[in-house]
Amino acid sequence: MNLEHFNKLLLESAGVGLAVIDTDDLTVLFSNKRLHEWFPEVDTGVPLDDLIDEIDRDAMRERFAKGRGYTVEATVKAGRRSISLAIHMSLSEAPESAGIVVECQNISKIKELEYMIESYSTMVEKQNRSLQREKERVEKLLLNIMPKRIYEELKHFGVTTPQRYDNASVLMVDFVDFTDMAISRDPAGIITELNDLFTAFDRIAEQFGCERIKTMGDAYMAVSGIPEQTPEHAVNIAKLAILIRRYLRRRNEAHSHEWRCRIGINSGVVIGSIVGVQKYVYDIFGPGVNLAARMEELAEPMQILLCEDMTPLIGDEFNVTELEEVEFKGFGRKRLYQLEAGSAIMPMEPDAFMQRQPV
Amino acid sequence: MSATMFDRYGGFASVSKIVMAFYDRVLDSDVVGFYFEDTDMKALIDHQTKFISSLMGGPASYSNDVLRRVHAGLDIDRRAFDEVVALLVETLEDFEIDPDDVDEIRQAMESRAPVIITT
Repeated sequence: MNLEHFNKLLLESAGVGLAVIDTDDLTVLFSNKRLHEWFPEVDTGVPLDDLIDEIDRDAMRERFAKGRGYTVEATVKAGRRSISLAIHMSLSEAPESAGIVVECQNISKIKELEYMIESYSTMVEKQNRSLQREKERVEKLLLNIMPKRIYEELKHFGVTTPQRYDNASVLMVDFVDFTDMAISRDPAGIITELNDLFTAFDRIAEQFGCERIKTMGDAYMAVSGIPEQTPEHAVNIAKLAILIRRYLRRRNEAHSHEWRCRIGINSGVVIGSIVGVQKYVYDIFGPGVNLAARMEELAEPMQILLCEDMTPLIGDEFNVTELEEVEFKGFGRKRLYQLEAGSAIMPMEPDAFMQRQPV
Repeated sequence: MSATMFDRYGGFASVSKIVMAFYDRVLDSDVVGFYFEDTDMKALIDHQTKFISSLMGGPASYSNDVLRRVHAGLDIDRRAFDEVVALLVETLEDFEIDPDDVDEIRQAMESRAPVIITT
């Protein structure tokens, strides 16, 4: 086989459509078999830009003038198939082969893949967004049962360690005769009211830098100084206690049913930890919590009780009335005090808390 | 949980290759080729890739309602449907998909026959 014959064979069998066209009138001087398949009229003396609308003669010359090639994309029909072609044209300046060299590549598969990649990434983005929404929903749920900082710890490390807080204050609220109420009246109505009350308590707590830890039946427990420490923890809890009672008083004036509570508050050592593995809650323990519970038990209806451990911490911003000394198992004798509003809580309008919240 | 067929065979990258090869056969078929004469193949291949992926347990899903809507008015008969299934099976075999898996895909296609065949 001589070289000339081999070159010819190569040209004819190439998967690329090839042509050389006249530099001036763009008529086809030479074309191979593949190009002929895609453009059957290629050798009828028609200028190439008449045959392929996408070719813009001026744009092409502009590119050539800058010493660059010129590429357009076109679609041709071959049988049932629509074929996407990339048509690249470049100026050949060699004296023996002056003309424009035209190369046509079938880029259908590339186009199909490009389309698919785009559609696939759109789908993935959409799924990502819905995953993100789901994640936010779960996060919101988890933030209902544990403080944000504990949640972050759980998220990053998979576990949380119990923390000891030496300076924290606890509030316990419980309703007088709740058990009888629930039985004698319609339970659903009672629970709805309880829900209203706790929602209002939550909003007061939030306003004073306290955090509700949990409710258990009709009992409500909140803290300050956990997990974010604050020197104001005792004052915060005292304010919360005053405003919860004030809220109940106002509410009772406007409602047929009277809710009366006992409130115990205390400052002391508190341990905060997540409890449970499958079903976990954030809970608090320790002497600070136990004593608050004892205060609450001893309180008269609508009384806020604290002991000598806490009074120095709330300063002179509240009015406290000294009561009797009581022996507490494990704590010894403690002087009790009754808390009343003072300069820390001015006679303010708690009406903002009266509005019912959608639940 | 065992991996889905979709994951075992390499996900979208593999399925898209199979689907492109499948449509090469489809276009050459004298029985069904003409259905695709003026179709935007890019979009069709994309949809079919997702559809086959869903049959293989991959992400994406096509409800029967959607399938019914996109095939309505095409007057697809049993013969055309069988031809397309046969071509898909051949293509899957070429890609050396396990015979059991090919059969599972074939059955999944077959179960959609009532919503696709309209004449």
